[in-house]
Amino acid sequence: MKFHWFHLMAYPYLPDDFKQRYPSVWVTPPAAELYDPVKGHQVYNDYLDQLEFAEQSGYDGICVNEHHQNGYGLMPSPNLMAAALARRTSRAKLIVLGNSVALYDPPTRVAEEMAMLDVMSGGRLVAGFPVGTPMDTAYCYGANPATLRDKYREGVELIVRAWKERRPFTFNGKYTQLRYVNPWPTPIQTPRPPVWIPGGGSVEQWEWCIKNDFVYAYLTYFGYMAGTAVIDGFWETVDRMGAEPNPYRVAFLQFVGVAENDAEAERLYAEPAQYFYNRCFHLDPGFVGPPGYASIATLRKGVRSQVRDSAAQVQGKLLSWKEILDRGCVVAGSPATVVDRLNDMADRMKVGHLMLLMHYGNMSHETTLYNTTRFARDVMPKLRHRFNEWEDKWWPKDTLPEIQKPAPIGVAAE
Amino acid sequence: MFENDTLRLPSGREVQIYRAGQGPTIVWLHGPHGVRRTDPVLAELAKRHTVIAPLAPGFNNVDELDDIRDVHDLALHYDDIFEALGLDRIALVGHSFGAMIAAELAAHVPKRVERLVLISPFGLWRDDKPVADLFARPYATIDRILWKTGEAPDVMTDPVNFPNDPVEKAVTIVQAMTSVAKFVWPIPDKGLRRRLHRVSAKTLIVFGADDAFVPAIYADEFAAAIPGARKAVIPDAAHMVVYERTPEVMRLIEQQLDERSRAA
Repeated sequence: MKFHWFHLMAYPYLPDDFKQRYPSVWVTPPAAELYDPVKGHQVYNDYLDQLEFAEQSGYDGICVNEHHQNGYGLMPSPNLMAAALARRTSRAKLIVLGNSVALYDPPTRVAEEMAMLDVMSGGRLVAGFPVGTPMDTAYCYGANPATLRDKYREGVELIVRAWKERRPFTFNGKYTQLRYVNPWPTPIQTPRPPVWIPGGGSVEQWEWCIKNDFVYAYLTYFGYMAGTAVIDGFWETVDRMGAEPNPYRVAFLQFVGVAENDAEAERLYAEPAQYFYNRCFHLDPGFVGPPGYASIATLRKGVRSQVRDSAAQVQGKLLSWKEILDRGCVVAGSPATVVDRLNDMADRMKVGHLMLLMHYGNMSHETTLYNTTRFARDVMPKLRHRFNEWEDKWWPKDTLPEIQKPAPIGVAAE
Repeated sequence: MFENDTLRLPSGREVQIYRAGQGPTIVWLHGPHGVRRTDPVLAELAKRHTVIAPLAPGFNNVDELDDIRDVHDLALHYDDIFEALGLDRIALVGHSFGAMIAAELAAHVPKRVERLVLISPFGLWRDDKPVADLFARPYATIDRILWKTGEAPDVMTDPVNFPNDPVEKAVTIVQAMTSVAKFVWPIPDKGLRRRLHRVSAKTLIVFGADDAFVPAIYADEFAAAIPGARKAVIPDAAHMVVYERTPEVMRLIEQQLDERSRAA
């Protein structure tokens, strides 16, 4: 099993009465009123330090993602964050779970920037291509939900082809027309970096991932118990298509909090978790379901979007710490408790790549480092052997020997 | 009461055409609700006219939208329909989304449209009077801005209009809304203002004075942009004005389409 440290980069200074005063954390929370860039300077630097610290602590990958106009996701450009991390890390793989391809015109820009990251980092890039949430795509970036998925697919096809082709080529697509496709630089990893597809629960993504040999990364904030149905759907599709049921085809996101015991877990993690669920995850229901965003096949299959469901679950409610734990949103407690729960998750879901949200909401820097350390020291070794019998074919292969060397610049040592 | 049949176009596309009534032919282009079996406006029109109502692409199946990429493709698709039906000089009445299509058709192919009634059309934009974002609210709440009373009358929500299966009902609604979204996202301004001068039809614009979706000020915008167009703003009515004030709007339509004035 592999362990990846995932940052959402929440803005930690939303007011206590945010939920009463503002209709949404996403799309329309007034930036000039709520965001303080001077505080933001410290926030970005703490968050980048945490990602660098994750490498030192032994995590396999560090994850950045893409959100727009969002009070709990301060990374409109994951590539900028990954570029900063590429220079300050040397071993951990850079799992870049944006770019929402349909938002970039032409999509070859994504091929270029991701190749830059792969080259700068010495071949450590995992290239993530989410469709993007309705809020990010349809509302913040004005993308037409009726054509979003089609445009996204075409863009991913163009990027992957741009990385593989040996000669300049012409691309006459429905959404992009390019006479000369020939991006510089090319990635170190050949024929291309591993591609991960972060998804909510869209059924057509499963088949497409399997057919194209992409990892399906299921991102939900509601934990593994609620996520099992979607992952089951993925494995059924693997089975139906006769593909190898390799656990490393799947990545799953889980909030985790490790402490000495359950009481300390509550003391450390209850507040940041409640800040996230009760303040950050406050969505205007008008922004979660633009027509055409979910395919008709997905509607018929009854797999509803995670944002829509999640928003419905927490809208107008205040979740207690107990409810957050009982629902499995956060797996928290003593190392034994966490190992137990994550073993249960591994048994149920067969997920080889575990993405861990170790910072959430307004968690302090110190608590974040503590959580990161405790998980690495007390939990990771007990789960490491899971799925050892499988080969991870969706992971950077350490092409360059020198990337095994320590980072050139000393990072904040513990 | 409506018959419907499937028309196959030279483009290969198939269109569902609803027909009802007897008398001079009138073409009805529906709004975001599609063609409902219990539609009271169609029933009223059919009393004195042969009503022909093509279903907009995508409403039955969003895949139909694949090769209709923009408003130009959309206008030409409708031109194909009327060519196939042998309707050369039509009397065209459109509501809401259908009024936008009617305006686009009349601007793209002016000779095809002789009489034009645009009821609560969108397709123009003023920064100081924005058209409301119909898509930034849960579908269950859109009636609040479409109807003056804030809710749809029973005749429109009659279950006979929808599949029994709740999932299929949701699919029907999503396909309709997706079809509208495709041509107006994120702002319903796709250059119509630059084309409206081409309209040669005798045109009437009808708005509900209290339209909370497309403010009635847009009656002035359309009337100013279409040569010789008249406007009527009906008090105490909203975006669904033709449903809310049916007799009054019918009289306006009748006047506009009247055979004697048509000959004049």
